[in-house]
Parts: sequence; C-alpha cells; structure tokens
Amino acid sequence: MADTEDVGSSSVSEPLDLVRLSLDEIVFVKLRGDRELKGRLHAYDSHCNLVLGDVEETIYVVEDDENDQEIIRTIKKQEEMLFVRGDSVVLISPQA
Amino acid sequence: MSFFGFDTALPRDRASQGGNRGIFDTPDPFAEVARAKAQAHHAGDDDDVLDFEDTYDGLGDRLNDDQDAFNEDTFGDVETGPVGKDFDFFGKTAQVADVIGEEQVRYNLKAPRDPVTAPASETKTTTGASSTVLQQPKRTGYEKYNEPGYIPDLQAKSSVWGLPKKSELAPLALSQARKMMSLEEVEAQLRGQGAAPMPGGPQMALPPHVSEPPHLQRPPHVHGLPEGFQQLPPEFLQAQFARGVPPQMLHSQTMGPEPFPHPAHAPNLPLHPLQTPNSPAPHPVPPPQHQAVPPPRGPHPQQQHPQQQPQQHVQQHSRGPSAQLPLITNPQQLMNLTEEQRVAYLLEDAKRAKRNHKIFLLSKGNGLMTPQDKNFITRIQLQQLVAAAGNVADNDSEAVLAEDFYYQVYSQIRGAPRQHPHQPLGHFAQTYLLQTGNRIGGHGSRKHNQSADNHMQRMQQQVQRAVEAAKAKPKNKQLIIEGSLGKISFGNAKAPKPSLNIKRPESSEGGKATKKPHTDLSLSDHKSILSNIEGVYNTLMELEDLERTMPPPPSEDDSEAIQKHLEWRQKVRALNQKLWQGLKVMEPIVPNSTTPHPFIAFLSYPKGKKAIPRIFRHIDQEQRVTILTMIVVHLDTLDVVRRAHPVPGETQPALPVREAIDLFSQAVMPSLLGYVSEAPFNIIIGLLGLVIAQTHVQFVARTRIGLGILTMLLSRAEIVKEAGQASERDWQQWVEKFNVLFDTLEPIFSDIFPGSINTGDDMYVWQFLAATGIGASPEQQQRLVIAVKDRVMETVTHSKTLPADMASQRLGNVNLFMRAIGLDVELLG
Repeated sequence: MADTEDVGSSSVSEPLDLVRLSLDEIVFVKLRGDRELKGRLHAYDSHCNLVLGDVEETIYVVEDDENDQEIIRTIKKQEEMLFVRGDSVVLISPQA
Repeated sequence: MSFFGFDTALPRDRASQGGNRGIFDTPDPFAEVARAKAQAHHAGDDDDVLDFEDTYDGLGDRLNDDQDAFNEDTFGDVETGPVGKDFDFFGKTAQVADVIGEEQVRYNLKAPRDPVTAPASETKTTTGASSTVLQQPKRTGYEKYNEPGYIPDLQAKSSVWGLPKKSELAPLALSQARKMMSLEEVEAQLRGQGAAPMPGGPQMALPPHVSEPPHLQRPPHVHGLPEGFQQLPPEFLQAQFARGVPPQMLHSQTMGPEPFPHPAHAPNLPLHPLQTPNSPAPHPVPPPQHQAVPPPRGPHPQQQHPQQQPQQHVQQHSRGPSAQLPLITNPQQLMNLTEEQRVAYLLEDAKRAKRNHKIFLLSKGNGLMTPQDKNFITRIQLQQLVAAAGNVADNDSEAVLAEDFYYQVYSQIRGAPRQHPHQPLGHFAQTYLLQTGNRIGGHGSRKHNQSADNHMQRMQQQVQRAVEAAKAKPKNKQLIIEGSLGKISFGNAKAPKPSLNIKRPESSEGGKATKKPHTDLSLSDHKSILSNIEGVYNTLMELEDLERTMPPPPSEDDSEAIQKHLEWRQKVRALNQKLWQGLKVMEPIVPNSTTPHPFIAFLSYPKGKKAIPRIFRHIDQEQRVTILTMIVVHLDTLDVVRRAHPVPGETQPALPVREAIDLFSQAVMPSLLGYVSEAPFNIIIGLLGLVIAQTHVQFVARTRIGLGILTMLLSRAEIVKEAGQASERDWQQWVEKFNVLFDTLEPIFSDIFPGSINTGDDMYVWQFLAATGIGASPEQQQRLVIAVKDRVMETVTHSKTLPADMASQRLGNVNLFMRAIGLDVELLG
C-alpha cells in the first residue's frame, strides 16, 4: 500500500479505486485461459497486476471422453502467495 | 607485381606503343626516356648490350594460323590414341627436382670461387667507372642459362620495386616510382650502371659466399619455410584478407615508403637484380615482417623457390641492417642474428602477431553498421536517457516517494545516504557520455581520433539540448498531430501511458458533499465501510509522511523555525481531525439499530483492526478513551464477540472468526490495554458501568475478547487499589459495579470456558477468574471457587495425562486463579 496519492477521503474517482476497497479482502479473480482465483488481495497496480495470498486457483479443462462428450474437468491448486500479471485479468470481484 | 610474373600493366597502358613488343614490354614513355638517358649516359658501352628486340627474329609473327590442316599427320590421331606422357615436362622435372636442387647448391658453392669462369658473357659488358660501389656484381644471374637443364624461375619482376631506380637514376626516381618497370628497362639500367667497373674487376663481394656454410648445415631452412615463417600465425593472413586488403595492396603498402629509405645503402642495391634475375616476386602471402616493418630494400624472400639463391639474400641482408634490432625482410636473416637478437625479434614478432590477431577479432563486425545506423542507435539511447532524466527531474519529493516508497522509507529509516534521490540521475546522461567519450578518445593515436572527438562533442551538445527541451515542457504527454482527430499519448516505464483520463474531484470535500445526505443509510453498508477504511489509511499515510518531515525542534530565538514548526503542527492537527472524521467514532449511536455503528463496522474488517495501533499513535488520550468507550459500549456487537460463539455442535467458532479474534487480540487489545493501564480510575469505573448497562454481560463474558476487556478493567482497578490511588468514593462506586458484574456472571462461571477441557487455550479465562478473585470479597471468592471447582479439578486431572511441559502450563494457568484467591494447586494434590 505504497500508494500515497490523495484520493480524498474515501471517494471513488476511478475504477481501480473500487479494487482498492478490496485490499486485504478476499477477492474472486477471473483470468484468461479458463482460470479463476480466489484469495486475499494484498496489492495491485494500474495494470491490474495483483498479489494474492492464500489463493485457490481453479482451472477448467474441457476434455472429450470416449463418446465424444465434452466433460469439464476442474483442477484446483492452492497457493500461499501469487503474483498475477495484469494482462491476464478479466475481472476482479469482491467476495464477501 | 603479379603472382605468376606476368605483366600486370593494363592493356590501356601498353597499347599505344604498338609494334612488335614482347609481352614484358611496358610502353611507359618515362621508361623510354630513362632508358634513353641511361644509354646516353653510358653511350660508349652500349653497343654490345643485347636488346631483346634486336635479337628477336620475328619468326613467330610469320606463323600462319590457318594452316593447321595437317595437324593430324603431324601430331597423330588426337581423338583416338592416348595422349601419352611424352610431353609431360612437369612430371619429368618433378622427378629430378631434388637433383636440380642439389645441383644448384653445389653450383652456388662453386660459383664464388671462380667467378671469372662463370659463363656469363653478358657480365663482361657491365663495366662502369662511375660507380662508387666497391662491391661488384659477380654474376649477372644469367649464368644458369648455360646449364642444359636449367629452367628459369618464372617470377614477378619484384626487382622493379627495389632500388635500382634510386641509384644513378635519382632524377628520374619520381616519375619512375609511379610505375613498374619492364624487365627490359631494368636490364638496361643495370647494364648502364654496372658497365664500367665490371671486367675482371675486384670481387669484393666474394667473401659472403665463402661463408655460406649455414645454408648447407641447415638445409631445412634452405628448402622449406625458414624459421620466421613458422611464427607466422594464420590469423594474420586472415586478418589481412578480412580487411579486404588484396595481396598486391599489401605489397604496395609495404613498398610504399621505399623510394628513399636508406640512401646510404643505395649503392649496394643495384646488385640485387643482377644477382637474381628471376628475382623474388612479391608474394601474395607476405610474411608478417613486411606488414610491420617496411623493408628497406627490394628483394623479397623467395618463398616459392627458396632453394634457388637464398645465399645472396642472406649476405645482402646481413650486411645491410644498421638498426639495433635489425629490420628483417627475409626470414633467412634470422639465422644470422645473435641469439639475443633473434629472441628479441621473435618476441617482437609474436607481439605483433598477437596484436594483429586482436585487431582481426575486433574487426569482425567492422562495417556492419553505417555511420547513419550508429547515429540512429545513439539517438534512441539519448532519447531514453533524456526521458528518464527529464521525468525524474520534474518530480517533487512527494512523487519520488510514491515512485519508490519502500526504498525511500527504508533508506530514511536507515539514515538516508543522499538527500535528493534524483539528483545523481540528473547528471547521468552527461557523466555517461563523458565517460564514453574518454574511452573512445583514449586511443589517442588513431586516425579517426579527431573526428570521434567531434562526434562525442556533438552528441554531448545534443544531450544537453535534449535535456533542456525535456525540462522546458515536461508535462507534455500527448501529441496532437495537426489535422488529425485523435491524440497520441505516450509514456515510458516510469510514467505509463494513461489509458483513462478521468479528472479527480478538486478536493476531498467534493466527494464528501455528495455523500452527506446518505450518511444514515449508507454509512454502514459494505462499500462505504471499505471506503472509510481506505480514507483512514490515506490519512494515516499522510500523517506518517508528515511525521517524517517534522522540522527540528525550534530553538527559542529562531522565529523562522518556530513558524515552520507551528505550520507543521497545524497540518498535523488538520490531518488528525480528518482521521477522526474518517473513523466515524463520533457518529451518533442509534439504539436498536440493525446496522452496526460505522466504527464497529470499521473494526469488523481485518484491515480496520490492523489500523488501530497506527491510529492510536496519532491521536490524543481523549480520542483514545472515546474509541475505548465506543468499543466497550458496542462490545456485544463487535464481530469478534458477536460471532465468537460456536454454532451448535461445534466446539469452537469457525476458522475466519478465530482468525479475526486472534487478529483483534493481537492488534487492537494491546492498544486498548496501553491506554487502560494509564487510565484514571473513574474512567475504569465508567467503562465497567457501561459494560453492565449497555451490553449483554453474560453474552460478552462467554467470548475471549469480552473476557479480555473485562479482565483489563478489573486488573486495572486492582492495581489502582493496590497503589492506593483510589479515593474512597471511587472505590465504593467500583465495588458496587463489581458486585453487579459478579452477580450477573456467577451463574455462567462454568460456561465461560471455551468448550470442553480439550478445546484449547483457556488461559484468558483463568486470567479473568484471577482478576475477579483478587477484587472479590472473601465471600465472593468462596462462591467463585464453588463455581469453577469442577473445572479446576478436571484440569488438574487432565494435566496428569499430558506431557510434562503442557501439564505444567495448564496447571500454571489454574494456579494463576488459585493464588489470586490465596490457594494453590499443590493443595489439591
């Protein structure tokens, strides 16, 4: 939270200010490549680079079974700390 | 000067003369003049000079090319029969090559002993009185033509590069130096100069030939490449070729300084061509010596036929050199040097080769980039430099801090080594360029030195101009091209291009004004609470920033410092108010409201809890007690109290709640305790009264945080009492409140423990019981013991099953309480 810019007390003036409200909170992050993250937002920047703590990552994989039926398989991973590069972020949502 | 000894003069150079010239005839008008002069000079002796043109019978010109009809008859059936080896001259010669070599050596040995019998009729004609040379040509070099098997070497007329033109023909040297001389001309000159002294003259030059043995003793050097050449690194040649220097060029370079190198030796020089008619050709692969040390004289080592007449070279050269480290043009010379000289020479040579190799390595990429390319790259680099420098330059310290917060804070904590972090960067471009300039300028003797300096100067000026320009309009981050609709905004790594350009409200008031009307409704909703928290953090950071810039404590007579300090305090006060507003502690308490008080909501977030210690540092005692009061009043609505009760069936609250409780007891409680431990007694009494009056005490007491706060108050009262600071009236008030509390809690004393005995840490409960017990009357103590007796016994029994350290810990907790009421677990056996 090295962000010393004076936003004025608690006014929201740009979209990322909303992200700021979720600092230190659990957020849900959707990423490109059918991935989702859920974790505590420790830091972000103007590129939407994120640092998340206690993250659960969910990857959705579409596979064909023998009958050519598409099955969606999910892979879950648990990370203690994660740096997410901003260019893969699709959405950030507070997870109350 | 060609490899095969052909005349390399271009056709246009020799065309005009026409006539029946031989192929070696170079129609250079100056040469003709020279010849004429030479002949005129020695007119009397000229008659018996053989001229090629005089002797040429012209038969070849009469050949009829058309009449080849009978070729078949003459030469046999070419198409059918095998060619045969009848005309394989080369093969035949090769078979006897060794013999020829031997013959030659023997001949050379023999020749000096009877020079007069040398079958060189032509030499007799070369008599010249004018020559001051003591040494006389002993041979013309044509002797060998008298040997039946002799095949003359075909060599380029490198003799023309020698110095004959210098000797008697000095007046002509200038004009002649520019051109090659034909064989004819060379002969003409030589004859002219050597004519007088020749016949039967003293043979001063003989001794050298007598002292020939070195050659015989070291045949390898005669036949093979001599020592010097073994030192020749192949890289050298590659380097030469890599630099695009054609062999001929090399020679012309090395020969360049020749025309008047050592006039002192000049008289000797004309001898060379005579003695070596097939005299050494400029070799396309010159030895290194030729590169570095311009040979002072014409003849070159006969690399192609070293066995032919190496002796002469040795002799000539061994006589010639006068320098300390002899100039060596012929590898053979090496052998005649002293050991020391040779070593020195070889070292020198190796050094040179090394250097050449280095040059070669460095020159690999030569010419890849044009000067324009280099300029272009330089400009890009300069632009980036300027962008970086300019960007930093227009930042104030605030922005610098924002840029690199953690480093700045860290360095401040560590005692910042430099006051202005951006200052060195301002000079970076210049420094960088200066250094580069020095480096390049360092190679002082370079031909391009001056131009390089100029270039660097130009570049420095460019940088200065660019930096100034960048400073002049640092804010311009957009480019609007005239006539276009859009703008191009650009950025760099330091200041990324803004993708959205939204204006912030001028002041924080703007945001607040719109909010005020909704205060009652929205203050406690999720988003506004989070906004409040962020606002508080902003203010906190400003306060902390301000703290860092606190001016030194003013001395009394320094009004300016006092003024500064006052201003600073003013700012601090303003920020403190802002912080206080942001905390919303003073928001009216709405009784029976479904939404929690904004400050309690604030505390329900982890970051809100974490903010408390930082906030407490910046607020005064009154504000602290206000906060404490707010917390106490809303004790049962605090998230850490409200949600602390485990859902039925669970022994302890959910994990997030436990985390919240831990966080609260680590972050908030110490701050509160810090205040309480210094708080006046009446405030403690008031707080206890608030707990009893405003909260569900039984509910609160069953939580860790609630018990913690109660313990805090009780123990503070006990300390005040012990210290004797409490007035009688205050104490009476306190006892009143305490009794109410005790009576309220008595039924649930056994329930305030967290779950069963195995649930975990129950120390805080024992602490509370101890605090209660100390302040309790003996009668209350007895009731207390009865209430918790079961738990005490349980714990003691349980501790016997635990490992020693855990057991002692549990017993210690119990003992905390037991001692408070004057007992000990030891008594329980």
